[in-house]
Amino acid sequence: MQRALVEIVLLAVLAGALGAWIVLRRLAFFTHSVGTATFPGLVVASAWGIAPQVAALGAALGFAGLRERMARGRESEEDAATGILLVAALALGALLASDVYRSGAGVDRLLFGTLIGLSDRDLLLTAIAAALALAADAALRRAWLARAFDPEGVRALGVAVTGPERLLLAAVAGAVIVALSAVGALLVSVVLVVPAATVRLVARDLRTLQLGAGALAAVEGVAALWLADGLNVAPGPAMAVLGGAVFALVAVLARGRRA
Amino acid sequence: MSDALVRVQDLAGGYRPGVDALAEVSFDACGGEVVAVLGPNGGGKSTLFRALLGELAHRRGTVELAGRPSYVPQTERARLDFPVSALDVALMGAYGRTPWFRRLARTDRAAAAAALARVGLEAEAGERFGALSGGQRQRVLIARALVQDAPVLLLDEPLSGVDAVSAARIEALFAELSAEGRVLLVATHDARQARAWQRVLCLNRTQVAYGAPADVLTSEVLQATYGAELVVLADGSTAVTVEHHEH
Amino acid sequence: MLADPITRRALLEVLILALALGPLGVWVLLHRQAYAAESLSHGLLPGLVLAALAGLPLVLGAAGGALVAAGAIALAARDERIGADLGVAVAVSTLFGLGALLALAPDAPPRLEELLFGDLLGISSADLAAAAALALAVAAALVAAHRPLALAAFDRPAARSLGAPAARWEAALLALLGVGTVAAAPGLGSLLLVALVIAPAAAALQVTRRLPAALALAAGLAMAAGVGGLALSYYADLAAGASVALCSAAAPTFVRLAT
Repeated sequence: MQRALVEIVLLAVLAGALGAWIVLRRLAFFTHSVGTATFPGLVVASAWGIAPQVAALGAALGFAGLRERMARGRESEEDAATGILLVAALALGALLASDVYRSGAGVDRLLFGTLIGLSDRDLLLTAIAAALALAADAALRRAWLARAFDPEGVRALGVAVTGPERLLLAAVAGAVIVALSAVGALLVSVVLVVPAATVRLVARDLRTLQLGAGALAAVEGVAALWLADGLNVAPGPAMAVLGGAVFALVAVLARGRRA
Repeated sequence: MSDALVRVQDLAGGYRPGVDALAEVSFDACGGEVVAVLGPNGGGKSTLFRALLGELAHRRGTVELAGRPSYVPQTERARLDFPVSALDVALMGAYGRTPWFRRLARTDRAAAAAALARVGLEAEAGERFGALSGGQRQRVLIARALVQDAPVLLLDEPLSGVDAVSAARIEALFAELSAEGRVLLVATHDARQARAWQRVLCLNRTQVAYGAPADVLTSEVLQATYGAELVVLADGSTAVTVEHHEH
Repeated sequence: MLADPITRRALLEVLILALALGPLGVWVLLHRQAYAAESLSHGLLPGLVLAALAGLPLVLGAAGGALVAAGAIALAARDERIGADLGVAVAVSTLFGLGALLALAPDAPPRLEELLFGDLLGISSADLAAAAALALAVAAALVAAHRPLALAAFDRPAARSLGAPAARWEAALLALLGVGTVAAAPGLGSLLLVALVIAPAAAALQVTRRLPAALALAAGLAMAAGVGGLALSYYADLAAGASVALCSAAAPTFVRLAT
């Protein structure tokens, strides 16, 4: 439980540093996709004793590669293409899992996270990811902001676009990979996206959005751990329900205000 | 007569290989000139700007520019729901000259505030960009270009749908900027407005005409530029019907 | 394979589902609603769980879950402050997490894996009857609504003046999507059913843009995926739903990679 608490706080840092960008740059679906795509990798990692983050990275890269090959330009087709790859990843993971796991409990842990299965290595990797995310944000926030605000005119400003863009996607993917152990492959959004979306409803500037998202993620995360411990469930679903309730509450209360 | 800040020779190109969205464009613009760029939607105005910004995928011909031009897009293209203030947007003009490891200089912040004052939005500096009116937003985007301090400015229909106060302000600003020796290329549909400026470039996929307004703004040229979109009014003057198109 | 009554029932179910979902998928893609299809199927999980806990037929749970999910998604998509995509992402992850929470918390938990990945071989005759009725209703409705759906998809601005107001017919399509999703959920599971909806349709649309051919081809490919998947499951002893899903996803992936 101790480890889970440290992990969730570290994840909250990631939620703060990157969550705002995920929300502003409309990367919620991307975040969810990367998480889901890692599922078959996680199953294999379990079976072969590889570090889950490594297998997840491999699966994510494989997914990205296939996605790239299949992309043909039109946005609606891209959504469909991604959707197909994701359901294929889930099916593949399910097939592999029926070989690997006798009971369903193992699969649940991969899909929804765990309170007790975290290792020191998991914490270390998350800490590194958090530090790198903070560094990337400090270095690239101007480029990210300019690109997000005005994608057409950004090059005219003399701001580099491609490098920062790739780094943003890499940072988000990295955050997803380290979040997998705690909240599971299917619910990475609840820590990386939902708190930022909630704060977005009321935040008036970027700094507030980031700090608020981080703080909210930490509070929701700790509460979710407590809830999960009490109910004897995985942390991911607990945080999902909490996060959703808070979001709904803020959405209703802040209705009058145009943030 | 000052040197040409913009020199374009036989420019042609487009977004797909082999398909030219623009062809046979050649013109020079010298410091102090405001150039109206007239043409129907889809006729190549945006393509020309992209080419000048170096963002056109397939391009032939030569483009010589003094420095990197600054670009003022139409306000609908910028995000209205962003958590940025008018000052934040103006400040973006300084991003290009600040390396990523350095904080923005105090002089840049001052320049942003000064630019907002220059467009008459000093009091609105702290307001959220999306909360401003269309005309005010357009002025903020111009302020951003001012902070960039480029010798050449490209403006995409800066006066369309803008309230009278903002429009007057913007036109006065054009005069000031050209007096400073800059070149302004202004995409517009308003031929009457174009008469007040120094040069007119008529584009309809190819260059129809370029020169002083008196020489260029004849009914033959306008007919060739706008074709079916041209409407002749009762008093003999012409107007352009602008088709509503999806951005 | 056909001698086994369990497999026979599963085969019948999947063939009938394919007949409806294949063409349904074509319409879904033409109206660019792939994301909606995915969101709805994931969002109805709490309904399935509650039905399983209460011992009710899963179809009922799926229906209730789909209604709630559709309502939540519609509400969330309307929020201007954060945009439709993000709103839907929040709603879906919350609902999905809620489903998982409900499934993992109780002392006698229902088999979550079957609700997620389907229980094609475990369906009863009653389930089959329900699925068949719903699927055939969808198929019939699609035939009846062919012309207005086509107008609304291809010529949106003109559709209203031609007697087919686009918004209304899009809503009708989404309703049919809901019914189809409910029919497929018990057999294929919340996570995998979307494969049968969008993958054969995607492959069909890659091969031909002529509408009648695409509709027929999608149905055919979906049925082939059903048969192929069940065969794979039977002879290689693999999970049935996942096999069907993987076979569905194979077609468009191959076509994309080969061209």
